[in-house]
Amino acid sequence: MKDHILEIKDLHIQFNTDEGVVQALNGIDITLERGKTLGLVGETGAGKTTTALSILRLVPRPPGEVVRGSIILDGIPIMEQSEYEMEKIRGKTVSMIFQDPMTALNPVIKVGEQIAEAISIHQKLSKEKSLAKAREVLELVGIPGNRMQEYPHQFSGGMKQRVIIAIALSCSPKLLIADEPTTALDVTIQAQVLELMKELKQKFHMAMVMISHDLGVVAEVCDDVAIMYAGKIVEQGSLEDVFLRTKHPYTEGLFNSIPNIDDRKAELIPIRGLMSDPYNLPSGCPFFDRCDYAMDICRTEKPVKHSFSDTHFTECHLYTAQPEFSLKSKKTKE
Amino acid sequence: MSTPTTTTYEKHTLNTKKKSQWLDVWKRLKKSRTAVIGLILILVFLMLALFAPFIADYEKDALGMNVKERLQSPSLTHWFGTDEFGRDIFARIVYGTRISLFVGIISVSIALSLGGTLGAIAGYYGGRIDNAIMRVLDVLLAIPTILLAITIVAALGASILNLMIAVGISNIPGFARVVRASVLSVKDQEYIESARAIGARDHTIILKHVLPNSMAPIVVFATLKVASAIMATSSLSFIGLGIQPPTPEWGNMLAGGRAYIRDHMYIVLSPGLAIVLTVLSLNLIGDGLRDALDPKLK
Amino acid sequence: MSKIILEVKNLKKYFDSPKGKLHAVDDVSFAIEKGKTLGVVGESGCGKSTTGRVILRLLEATDGEIFYKGVNIRKLSAAKMRELRREMQIIFQDPFSSLDPRNTVSEIIEEPIILNKLIKNKKQRFERVLELMDLVGLSRRLINTYPHELDGGRRQRIGIARALALNTEFIVCDEPVSALDVSIQAQILNLLKNLQHKLGLTYIFITHDLSVVNHFSDDVAVMYLGKMVEKAPAEELFSHPVHPYTQALLSAIPRPTLDKHEKIILKGEITSPIEPEPICRFANRCRYAEDICRREEPQLETVEGEHEVACHRWRELEG
Repeated sequence: MKDHILEIKDLHIQFNTDEGVVQALNGIDITLERGKTLGLVGETGAGKTTTALSILRLVPRPPGEVVRGSIILDGIPIMEQSEYEMEKIRGKTVSMIFQDPMTALNPVIKVGEQIAEAISIHQKLSKEKSLAKAREVLELVGIPGNRMQEYPHQFSGGMKQRVIIAIALSCSPKLLIADEPTTALDVTIQAQVLELMKELKQKFHMAMVMISHDLGVVAEVCDDVAIMYAGKIVEQGSLEDVFLRTKHPYTEGLFNSIPNIDDRKAELIPIRGLMSDPYNLPSGCPFFDRCDYAMDICRTEKPVKHSFSDTHFTECHLYTAQPEFSLKSKKTKE
Repeated sequence: MSTPTTTTYEKHTLNTKKKSQWLDVWKRLKKSRTAVIGLILILVFLMLALFAPFIADYEKDALGMNVKERLQSPSLTHWFGTDEFGRDIFARIVYGTRISLFVGIISVSIALSLGGTLGAIAGYYGGRIDNAIMRVLDVLLAIPTILLAITIVAALGASILNLMIAVGISNIPGFARVVRASVLSVKDQEYIESARAIGARDHTIILKHVLPNSMAPIVVFATLKVASAIMATSSLSFIGLGIQPPTPEWGNMLAGGRAYIRDHMYIVLSPGLAIVLTVLSLNLIGDGLRDALDPKLK
Repeated sequence: MSKIILEVKNLKKYFDSPKGKLHAVDDVSFAIEKGKTLGVVGESGCGKSTTGRVILRLLEATDGEIFYKGVNIRKLSAAKMRELRREMQIIFQDPFSSLDPRNTVSEIIEEPIILNKLIKNKKQRFERVLELMDLVGLSRRLINTYPHELDGGRRQRIGIARALALNTEFIVCDEPVSALDVSIQAQILNLLKNLQHKLGLTYIFITHDLSVVNHFSDDVAVMYLGKMVEKAPAEELFSHPVHPYTQALLSAIPRPTLDKHEKIILKGEITSPIEPEPICRFANRCRYAEDICRREEPQLETVEGEHEVACHRWRELEG
C-alpha cells in the first residue's frame, strides 16, 4: 500500500444561509501521495476553496456544515481533533497560501518578524533563533536577508507572495495548500514564483494541493489533476490522463475555451450556459444542461465513478453504457 | 434549451416589474428586533404629534393654569400628573413631541441640504475646492456643537426658528464630512467613469450615480443626528435658550420641574423619559438601517 | 488603401506623485485601421489602461496628439467631445464595479440613448434596448434585474450592450475578460469577435493575457513601464519576437500542454516609473543588457515591414 499524506473520503459540505442551502461539496474523494502535487481545477463556485479550507478545518461554521465524510491528514483524522490540536496541525503538518499577497501580510509588522512569529509558535525557539531561521527561509525564497527589517509595503507583489511562501514553508509542512498563488501576479513574476515553488517542493519533498483555474499553471507544476464542477470531482487522473486522454465533457470544454497561443486561428468553443444555481442543483448530472453529449439518463440520475485505470476516473454516464466512448473534438495538440 | 421568447413591449412592462431596492432594505430591517422596537416607538411618538389636538386641548390642558390642581400625582384624569401650575403633564408631553420632532427633523434637513451639498462638491471635485470647503468646516468642527448652537441662538435670539437654524448650522460640518467620505468612495468606481464615457455631464453624474450610491451612510447618519438634534433642542431649552415657557417643550419642562424633584419626581420623570425614548428609538433605527443598508451582509 | 481611424502621436501622460512625476505613458505612437484590432499588452503598471483612457479623454493627456478620423480630439471642446463619445466607447475590466448597482439592466443600457437624445419615443427606446440585448446574447427576461443578481459573464454583456447603444465605431476594451472564468471568457471573446464582423467595429484590446491577445488582435503593441517596446502584426510578433522583454513574456505564459518549453525567468525588480532616467527601462531585468542600455534610451526602429522594436541590441541579437 502506498503512503498517503492526504485522504479525503466522501466529503459533503453545505452552507446554510438565509436564502437557502448551498451544497458546496457533494462527495469529494481525494488521495494524495507524499511528495506529489495535485492540481484542483474549476471555475468560481466549483468548491475548490471549500475543499482546501476543509483540510485545515477552516470552513467557517456556521454557515458551513460538514454533512458527512472524513479527512485523514498524515494519519490523523482531522474531523475528530480538538480545536487545540488543530492549531498545532496547522502550520506544522499543513500550511496554506492564499491568493492575494496584498492583504495576507500585516502592514505594521516587519517582514522578518512575521516569519519569525510563525516559526516561534510551532518550534518553540528563542526570538534570536527564530529570527535567524526567518532570514534563512527568506533567502531560500530568493529575497536578500537584509530586507527582513522592511515592512510589507516596501515589497512588490511578487516579493510579498514569496514572503507568504516563506511563512508557509517556515515550519517545513508535509502538505502545502496553495489557493491560486499566482493569479494576482504578472506573467513574468508568475513564472518566477512557479519556478520557486517547483524547486522548494522537490527540496523538501513536500506534497502540495494547488488550486487554480489556469490549466497552464497546473500543467507546469502538478503531477495529478482533479477537475471540479459544482462541488464534485468530475474527472481525476495524472497530468497525462487528463490532458491527453480527456474523458469528461466539461474537461474537454475547458480545454476548448482556452485561446491557443501557438495557433491564433483556432476557434474558441465556449461551454454554453452557466453553472447551475448552487442553491438548487439538478437531481441528475450538474453539467447536464451545458453538455453537448447529454442523454436522457443525465437529467434524472447522478453519474457514478467510472475508472479507466488505477489513477484515472470520471463521473459521467457516457462510459457506463459504452466504455469505449471517446469525445469528439479536442482542440489541443497531443 | 430555449427560453420562451416574449417579444412585445406590453408583455414586458406587464410581466416584469422593476423591483424596488428599498423593499430589500425593508425586508432586512424587519429582521432586526431592536430596529422594529425603535420603529414602533417612533411611530407612537409621530402619532401623538400628529393627533395631538384630538388627544388634548392645547389652550386648556397644556397651557391653562389651574392652581387648584397643582402638583397632583398621576391619576386617571391626569395620567402623568400635573405640574406646579396645575397643567396636565401628559398634554404637555404630547404637544412637546410636536416641537421636538419638528425641530429635530427640520434642523437635520437644514444641515443635510447645506452640509450635504458642500460635502458632495468637495468630494466630487476634490483638489483646491475640497481643501477650501473642508478647512472652513474644520474650523466650525473645532467648536463643540452645543457651544456653537448656544452662540448662534444667543446672537439671533431665542425662538423656534432660530433654534432650528442654530442646531442645523452646528451640524453642517458633520454632514459635509459624511457625505464627502461617501462620495469619495463612490467617485472612483468604474461606473462613474462609464457614465462619463457615454457623455454624461457632471450634474447628471452626481445626481444620478454618485448620490444614490452614497445614500446608505448618509441615511444612517441623518437618523442618528435627528436624535442628537432633539437632545440639543432640549438642552438649549433646559438652559433657557431654546423654546421659552409656557410653550411646552421637554427641555423646558425638565427645567421647570427641577425645583420639585424631591417631592414630585413624576414632573421631571415623564419629560425625561420622553427624551430618552425618542433618542433611543432613533438610535435603534439608525443601527438597524446601518446593517440593513450594508450590501456586504447580503 | 486602408483607412486609418485612430492615430496617436507621441502621447504622454504623467501623474503627480509625492515623489515626482510618474510617467504612466511616455511617448507612445500608433495607428489603427478601421475594422481592425490593436492589442496592447503589458504587465500591471505598464500604462496600457492609462493609454486607453487618455485616448477617450477620460483622462487628459499631458502631451501628444490623438487623431480620430483626422480630427485632433485633444483640441475639441467638452461639448464636441461629448458628441464624439457616441462613436468612441469603452468596455471595462471589472463587470462588478462598472455597472451602477442601483440601476436595472434596461436602465443601464438605455442611459446612453437618453443622455444623447438619440431616441425620444419611450416605446421605440424600449425596442432598441431589447434589440441590443438580443445582439449581445442577453435573455430578454433579465431586463428588469439588477446587475448584482447576475454573474460576471452576463454583466460583461450588459457593459457591451451599453457600449453599443450609440453609433459606436471604436471601442477601447480594457481587459474585458480578465475577471471571468475560462468558459465564460471564451463566450465573451467570441461575442466581441462576432460583433466586430457584424458592425465593422475597431478595437483597442488591452490585456495582460498574451494568449487572448494573440487570438484576438491583428496588431500587437507591447508596453513596458510607459514605453512601447515592440509592435508588430500579431502573427509576426508571436512567431518572431525581437525585444528581450517580449521574448521573456511569451516564454513565461503557462501553456496547457504537456510538451515542456524552455522558460526565460526574469531576474531583478521592475524599475520605478517615477521620474525614470533616459535609459532603457528594461535594462536591469534584461539578460542582454550592456553599457549602452544603461546610458541611452532606445528608440523604435523598423525590423521589417510593420515590425518595430525599441532595443539597442536587436540587430546584434538577431544576427
